[in-house]
Amino acid sequence: MSRRNKHTYWGGYLWRLAIIAIVLGSAFYYGPRFYARFQHLPIEEILISSPLKNKTFSATVQQVQSDNLKAYLLEEHTNPIVSLSFAFQNAGAAHEPYDMLGLTTMLSEMLTAGGADYDAKTFKDLCAEYGIKLEFATTADNFSGTLQFPKEFQAKAIELFRAALYEPQFDEAYLALVKKRQLLALQLQDEQPAQMLANKFKQFVFAGHPYERNVLGTRESIAKIEVADLESYRQQKLAQDNLLVGIAGDVTVAETEQLLKQLFADLPITAKTDKLSPLEIETTGVKQAISRQTAQDVARFATQGTFRNSVDFYPLYIVNYIFGESGLNSRLNKRIREQEGLTYGIYTYLAIKKAAALIEGSFSATPENFERAVAMLRQEWKRLGNEGISDEELAQAKEALIASYNLRFASTAGIADMLLAMQMYDLGIDFLQKRNDYIKEVTLQAANAAAKKYFNTEPDLMYIGVIDTKENE
Amino acid sequence: MRLICIAAILWLGSVLPAFAGLFKATEFTLNNGMQVVVIENHKAPLIKHMVWYKVGAVDEIRGKGGIAHLLEHLMFRGTKLVKSDEFKQKLDELGAEHNAFTSFDMTVYHQLADISKLEALMALEADRMQNLAFDREAFNAEQKIVYQERQQVVENNPASAFNERFNLLLWGNSPYGQPITGQNDEIMALTYDDARDFYTQYYAPNNAILVLSGDIEPQLAHELAEKYYGKLPAAAIEREEPQEVKDMFKTTLEMSLPNIQAAKMVQKFLLPNYRNLKGTYFDYLVLAEYLGGGETSALYQDLVVEQEAVLGVAASYHYLTRGNSVFSLALRPNTDEVFDRVWYEQILNDALEQAMNNFTSDELEKVKRKMTADLVYINDNPEDVAYWVGYALAIGFNLADVEGFVEGIKNVTLEGVQEAYRQVKSAAWVEGVLLPKEGQGEN
Repeated sequence: MSRRNKHTYWGGYLWRLAIIAIVLGSAFYYGPRFYARFQHLPIEEILISSPLKNKTFSATVQQVQSDNLKAYLLEEHTNPIVSLSFAFQNAGAAHEPYDMLGLTTMLSEMLTAGGADYDAKTFKDLCAEYGIKLEFATTADNFSGTLQFPKEFQAKAIELFRAALYEPQFDEAYLALVKKRQLLALQLQDEQPAQMLANKFKQFVFAGHPYERNVLGTRESIAKIEVADLESYRQQKLAQDNLLVGIAGDVTVAETEQLLKQLFADLPITAKTDKLSPLEIETTGVKQAISRQTAQDVARFATQGTFRNSVDFYPLYIVNYIFGESGLNSRLNKRIREQEGLTYGIYTYLAIKKAAALIEGSFSATPENFERAVAMLRQEWKRLGNEGISDEELAQAKEALIASYNLRFASTAGIADMLLAMQMYDLGIDFLQKRNDYIKEVTLQAANAAAKKYFNTEPDLMYIGVIDTKENE
Repeated sequence: MRLICIAAILWLGSVLPAFAGLFKATEFTLNNGMQVVVIENHKAPLIKHMVWYKVGAVDEIRGKGGIAHLLEHLMFRGTKLVKSDEFKQKLDELGAEHNAFTSFDMTVYHQLADISKLEALMALEADRMQNLAFDREAFNAEQKIVYQERQQVVENNPASAFNERFNLLLWGNSPYGQPITGQNDEIMALTYDDARDFYTQYYAPNNAILVLSGDIEPQLAHELAEKYYGKLPAAAIEREEPQEVKDMFKTTLEMSLPNIQAAKMVQKFLLPNYRNLKGTYFDYLVLAEYLGGGETSALYQDLVVEQEAVLGVAASYHYLTRGNSVFSLALRPNTDEVFDRVWYEQILNDALEQAMNNFTSDELEKVKRKMTADLVYINDNPEDVAYWVGYALAIGFNLADVEGFVEGIKNVTLEGVQEAYRQVKSAAWVEGVLLPKEGQGEN
């Protein structure tokens, strides 16, 4: 107790009381509001003070050359495994003879169905027992493959790979089985409405162009293909000058040179391939329907997009990301899914092939929601074309795309795929160093020019579902 | 936000180094009971951050089917600190690939991100473990969304009516026979309070497992787990153990459905939970691999390649469950023949007997090599490891069990596999046949 306060007079005391009352009152009134302002998760502060913020990482892609063969390599010596992704360009399903559709799918099965002295069972057993993974596949443009092996079994992997690529057995009985299974796969595509629609939509968008084909072929074409057809396709289309290779994993430059030689040097130098004529699609907002009993109507839509090396690519990439590719944050999902609950999800993506570039999308909704979802899609499409995106949206998209950059390094198989894509789209060996700058450099003006250019026409749409017979669009 | 009906996601093959554990994981428990597992992988600056809640569709009250899954969606709809539309935006800005899924036994939230973002992810995840605050508007929207999800993922598949009826026959009254999505009418009858109650009842640190897989040292992981999750209060969790189905039966289901293009035949055998098996689950895994694991398996070689009687056959064994484990056989008949169930059942049985008669120690060793050879890839992708370890631990496995996978396979004997086969053949089972509707499927 301080003696000095003893003679405090009432006025002074009341004055203090008043202050206390005001302070308390304010605290009661403003306190929760003030508190609420700071009641958020301080994400920025957390990130800035995190001991994990300064981890650095650099990945250097090297080009490896061995005579006519070259590859992009990313060394990764943590695990004793090697992953390769390779593609023979212009050797995919769109390049099959017109009366032998499904040939490349069949070839991809038959190349791993026995080679050299190994029959199919022995070949597949050996792969499994040594942990060697060899697969071939086809897209519209390319005939491609992946090979993964444990470092200690590299010699075995090379032996099996060579057996598959250079001395496939193409056994008649096995081909008969592969044909029957391919036919079954073709039939099963029609069980799933989304898959059936995807096939029909391809025929609609790419009508008259080889891109309209189903990679599984047709019932008639599958029946027609013979061993001799597989053999001549293999010899003509799989060569060194249309081959691209990406390698990642526990392998050095010198080892990669050797590996390239051992795997690919016995291929013919030149492939007999043709380029496809480029195709631009013109959309006018046409709506087509396929009738079928389904729980939900499934829709696909598309319009003209742009190629990977066009100056419009990054602006359009970002605009599309905001519009329909950023998952549940996209404009389309926010409006049609998150706010209205009309669909489980709607998305768009840039579908880029060698001779065609589309903006494509899909969603499904129960019949009572469907028309409303389509109308909203069209509204959002027009709004993007007319008004573009905001500064804030651009900044958020850039942040997300740059922050997610490192995710591409999760597995060596994924890295090998990426190295292949870098060559396929001619992105340059320093792409990884430059990629974030490409994103950063997109201006609002460029983004909105792209929005205006690519979202000014209505996408054509096709859907599968219970058709209202009165509808006549 | 997906549904996972079977543990197929983590069937990555098998394992390699027998000495140290398969994953070389570190585990510890926070004071509030939250279990933490760290699996180091320093090849890239990445982290897989997963929280596995030990609650799933089997914990739902009858008539409230789908609440576990609906709550999983609502977990993205904001907290006391994060507004409804901000949560996904924040994850996006962090550059995180994120999702969640609900299965019978667990509900899981996960992100893959740059390691520099880990603390932010932990802050967000810890926050929604305790402070979830979705509003009624969000509830209404998500209810419609999960309804649409069921229509898209389940009902639009023309085989779904067959699959769901098959499960009812196999499981009877067990919750494992109900769809994870809930039935259509159940979904639409769920209420805001149902979701709140389920959250309050089951979401707490002592009912969760944190899995960190990627570029982080266990010690720092421990500090950070303590910092973000350690202060959350434990709650009293009461969770019932699912009852094992013990009835003996053989039932046949035959259905013809519109839009089905080709016949298929499925047999599923109800075995005890992996803890109560005669023998070990490794015996049954080896049995499945030997009989029907891919194109070099005994049944495939016999029925598809040699006899040309069917176009495909496969076997699998599902043991990562708190309920009965299930052994399955599936068969794709030739499409150009009229389907004769009795004949296919007969050739399948003959092929099974034949395969077991031909099962030698050479064959056994070959199967073991196949099952362990590609485990060399298990540490290639930090995501794969995180799924495997998290799934097993959420079921109730010890880390040592999971780490000892290779050892478990290596210890399997011929007698063990033969006994497993006898157990399968004397188990309760359902045979289902799905056929195209008359006049369809031959276009």
